[in-house]
Amino acid sequence: MSEMTTGVDLVPQARVEQTQGGTAVVASVRGEIDLHNSPELRGVLLECIASHSPKRLVLNLGQVPYMDSSAIAVLVEALQKIRRVPGRIFLTNLQPRVKGLLEIARLDSIFVVCADEAEAMNKA
Amino acid sequence: MSKADQTTSGIGQQGARVELSMTSEPGQIAAVRRAVESLCTDEGLDDRSACEVGLCVNEALANVIRHAYEGAAGRPIRVTAVCDAREVEVRIRDWGNGVNPAELPQRPYDPLEPGGLGLICLGRCMDEVRFEPQGDGMLLVLRKRAAAADAAVQVGGCGHCGSATPGCEKRSGQ
Repeated sequence: MSEMTTGVDLVPQARVEQTQGGTAVVASVRGEIDLHNSPELRGVLLECIASHSPKRLVLNLGQVPYMDSSAIAVLVEALQKIRRVPGRIFLTNLQPRVKGLLEIARLDSIFVVCADEAEAMNKA
Repeated sequence: MSKADQTTSGIGQQGARVELSMTSEPGQIAAVRRAVESLCTDEGLDDRSACEVGLCVNEALANVIRHAYEGAAGRPIRVTAVCDAREVEVRIRDWGNGVNPAELPQRPYDPLEPGGLGLICLGRCMDEVRFEPQGDGMLLVLRKRAAAADAAVQVGGCGHCGSATPGCEKRSGQ
């Protein structure tokens, strides 16, 4: 397991783990995300996918009280990229407003939504 | 306020009002969203409705910046919100390209294709979404009734605070 520092406030650190199923990256995202800072999230996620080709990208959104459609667009773009690995994105610890927006966007069944990181790491 | 901006508000004089001026930088969206959400909650609108109004203000402002102003910074946007415990009306005025999103060709929403989610949010979360061309830009009028007020009306209770007691004295702005 290795820790990497991103230099980006939204995703200050990420953890890379080697599992039986391949590389997993676990990142905690912090703060509200809108058109102002969603490009930062995009940069981190796309770099992470390009560098590690993870089979499993776990995004802990427990400290994200709010996101808008620009953040959703970033998650969808990351999903398209990781599917080419092929890998999956797991979203954990969703706050009510984020969960509500995913439902409006009809993405709650496209991303793998888990209660916490442990469930995401153990999910088949 | 120019004459072209003036239309009738159904909320009238009782509701609290906030008027905000911003420029077309994404970094200003959050402050305006929070100000409108605070107005809604301070006036007694239920939390869920306040959050939905905030999301729609965010999405509408993002659309103005990205589409009406095509990403140009420093262009003016004026936001006026009037709210009481039963209803909120938000008016967003820009001086952009005047393209009416409601008149653009509609394609079926695909969650895996970019674009369109902002307007989906407006349609899902607001009771009324109206684009009014202004000649030198666009005025977007958003209206939402409080869920609690709807429920109170249905059971014959007070429409101002959601109480089951008809004629409850609680009323914001008084």
